[in-house]
Amino acid sequence: MKNRSAVSNTIASALVVVMIIAGVGGYYLGSQGVAPAATTVTQVAATTLFQTVTITTQMPTVTTVTTKTAVTTAPTVTITTTTGPKLKDTLVMGTTDSVETNLDPAEAYDFFGWEIILNTGATLVDIAPGTPYGAGLKDIKPALATDWTTSADGKTYTFNLRQGVKFYNGREFTADDVKYSIDRGITLAMEDGAYVGIGYSDIIDSVEVTGKYQVVFHLKIPFSPFLNLMACQASYIVNKDIATMAGTVNYTAGDARISNPNDLGPYVLTSWSRVAGKDDEMRLDANPNYWAKGAGFPLTPHVIIKFYADATSLGLAVRAGDVDIAFRQLLASDIESMKTDPSVKVWVGTGAFIQYMLFQENIPPFDNPKVRQAISSALDRQEMVDTVFMGQAQPLYSIIPKGMLGHTDKFKEVDKNPTKAISLLKEAGYDQTNKLKIEMWYESSGHYPQSPDQAAVWKAQLERTGVIEVTLKGADWPSYKKNRDTEIMPVYSYGWYPDYVDPDDYVFLYWATWIHHNYENPEAVALYNEARATSDTAKRTQLYAQVDDMMVRDCPNVPLYQAGAFAVTSPKVDGVVLDIAQLWRIWLLYAVES
Amino acid sequence: MSLRSYIVARVLLTIPMILLLLTMVFLIIRVMPGDPADLHFEKRVDPEILAEFKHRLGLDKPLPVQYVDYLAGLLSGNLGSSMQDFSPVGQQIFSAFPATLELAIYSAAFAIIVGVLLGVRASRSYNSIPDHSIRMFGIVSYAIPVFFLGEVLIIVFGIYLGWFPTGLRFNPRIEAPQGLQLGGWRLATGLYTVDSLLEGSLTKFAESLRYLSLPVLALGTVLCGIFIRMTRSNMLETLRLDFVTSARARGIKERAVVYAYALRNAFLPILTMMGLQFAALLAGAVLTETTFSWPGLGRYLVTRITFRDYTAIQGAVVFYGVIVALVSLVVDILYAYLDPRIRF
Repeated sequence: MKNRSAVSNTIASALVVVMIIAGVGGYYLGSQGVAPAATTVTQVAATTLFQTVTITTQMPTVTTVTTKTAVTTAPTVTITTTTGPKLKDTLVMGTTDSVETNLDPAEAYDFFGWEIILNTGATLVDIAPGTPYGAGLKDIKPALATDWTTSADGKTYTFNLRQGVKFYNGREFTADDVKYSIDRGITLAMEDGAYVGIGYSDIIDSVEVTGKYQVVFHLKIPFSPFLNLMACQASYIVNKDIATMAGTVNYTAGDARISNPNDLGPYVLTSWSRVAGKDDEMRLDANPNYWAKGAGFPLTPHVIIKFYADATSLGLAVRAGDVDIAFRQLLASDIESMKTDPSVKVWVGTGAFIQYMLFQENIPPFDNPKVRQAISSALDRQEMVDTVFMGQAQPLYSIIPKGMLGHTDKFKEVDKNPTKAISLLKEAGYDQTNKLKIEMWYESSGHYPQSPDQAAVWKAQLERTGVIEVTLKGADWPSYKKNRDTEIMPVYSYGWYPDYVDPDDYVFLYWATWIHHNYENPEAVALYNEARATSDTAKRTQLYAQVDDMMVRDCPNVPLYQAGAFAVTSPKVDGVVLDIAQLWRIWLLYAVES
Repeated sequence: MSLRSYIVARVLLTIPMILLLLTMVFLIIRVMPGDPADLHFEKRVDPEILAEFKHRLGLDKPLPVQYVDYLAGLLSGNLGSSMQDFSPVGQQIFSAFPATLELAIYSAAFAIIVGVLLGVRASRSYNSIPDHSIRMFGIVSYAIPVFFLGEVLIIVFGIYLGWFPTGLRFNPRIEAPQGLQLGGWRLATGLYTVDSLLEGSLTKFAESLRYLSLPVLALGTVLCGIFIRMTRSNMLETLRLDFVTSARARGIKERAVVYAYALRNAFLPILTMMGLQFAALLAGAVLTETTFSWPGLGRYLVTRITFRDYTAIQGAVVFYGVIVALVSLVVDILYAYLDPRIRF
């Protein structure tokens, strides 16, 4: 009896102690943070004609070589790892993302699906790592194409292909594969895929094989961002032994090889398990047939990807060392606190994701440009970014993000100016006694980063004018989207990350019909189409600036902020490149063996 | 009514219950704003393309037709295809269920053993310091939200002390337990602790337990509060009954009096509670799975709701319904075993 009693007593005491330790420990850690001294790495990219991309500042010895290619002045980054200490054989990466449909370029259209396509596949051209622009011709470098020419009218692109490239199963890559991949995407025309979403069939007329190693694209329209379009993951070359014309390649349990039609890239997806329709584990192993393996890529031969339920869990996992790398999604507050945590390294880069505020023009008084201008003027974007994102995003004053061709700061004219807001509203018939009443909606289920917090700041700023009264309303993503389509939200925010990294994929947001804000401006559309048809960078810049001028006047939607890009790794990991091209290049990652 | 006809009646009653549950879920998820076809298109989409896509998912049919189609599929054992990634829902549910089952078994065992032992201990020192401490612990653990306790445990044991992993089900650097392999034949339960033993790997067994520890501690602690309270109050009543006094008077050892005599009598209401708590256990597992990135059915349901994946939500809820019905049936049968006076 004594023993039993002792057991019960011990259990009781142990549990009480556990809860006390947990409570006190949690409080202590929450309030104290951890020790100081940390590493925050900011991407450095020189902007000389032949860019030098600084991949690392530590061992192993990294040689950066710049090479002039046949057509462009794009940089080629070569990392030599023959010297220096041994690198780790395997890295574990954690993420909260998951493949949404499949890994078939003909249908995949989600961030993570594209990430895996990027690392296991290849296409004609690549965007140079560390690109400061993501859009200019000088950022495009050869991949499966060694060089290319463009016709004077901008409607014909001829690509000469790399010879001797092999698919994973040993078959040689030729011009037929390029034609097959693009034709397949256009023919299958998956409703929810990028081919339909971006409108490939509106741009590409035909793909012609003019030799075993030469392919010609005939376009329907002159399309200046064509090379960027070719660099995007929808244009990746599929292995036709896996990707047939019968339909898209979907996940097959237990067989990663036939679940992924991409195998020309640095890695091969050797194992992929999904549990209950969500990714559980992926294994990437170095592709023995990779065409650039002579340059030493990938630097880490084996990468295991594990999937976490949410940003908090992922942050905790990287802190505890359960994963070597955490990429997407992490909370701003976690990133901030990890900057002072010596057990991890925080990588900061430029992001291409933006958010903007929209006005429903079918609901008065938001059909009045003065009201829209007034609301924009009452906002203080910098304050929101500092408060909500702790400075980890930047205010945006044009729909084209900073660092990209055509970006301006024109919306500064309608920012942080409550006096202007008050006077504009007075002209529209509103004052302190007759306040403008706004119903402002935000997405409440985490589809966009920290939307409720953003909304609270916007409300406070608008009400600070004394002439605006804001009612906040939240809706989860499915409801929010439905509300957008039924046009019942007077003021709301929306977000965008690009398909191809070019201003062409941003500017149309001002009047996009699928956003349902009912703004039309044929004059601006004409300028946009003119910019689309010219490859003259100076002219494009000037045309986009003209569009921005009109948009500051009309304020159909108001740019708010541009997100940063973040990764957190163990201190030993290096090679993280976070640039505006938003490409997560796993083949550049490495860690020195301790 | 004999036990056999009782079981038959109970099983038959389960059918309208599941049907009612299914109908409610079928209607409720369709009343919620947002539809699964629309959610495939974050960006631009033409109305004609959306219409084509709805057709592909069968969402263009009238509601009663969709309902009958679904029921017909269900009768032939087909739970349909996911509206998000188009793979079979049945397969998805069965791929996730072992993880949830393993978490549920260990958590329930933890909650019941700890709860009952502490409850008995408290009842034996009525109104003393151990009694008050255990009662206090019971109240606190019952009141504490599982996700909060989980997070605190992760911070303390995962990050600060580094004893346990912060999440996931198994060590990514080791191959997951494969079960028993004999030539081309494989026996695997999907329960990692069992499979690692079948495989004969103690390392994998230890690793499975290490990954199970924090989720089980969190969920088990939250659930054990109710067992402490139930056991304590029932034991207090039972220990005052005449048969206990007479057992003691006959010189039977106190340990035997408490555990073999009193506890068995006090156990019936506790068993009822176990049955009722099973639903709470599954609900708690949803939150625990999210907190610990545990790849189970709960996380599946949460994810699918955000996609408005109608077929997947219906399938998961029906599956939950069947499980809860089965457990309550087993509990009813156990009643008869524990108390021979019970007749159905």
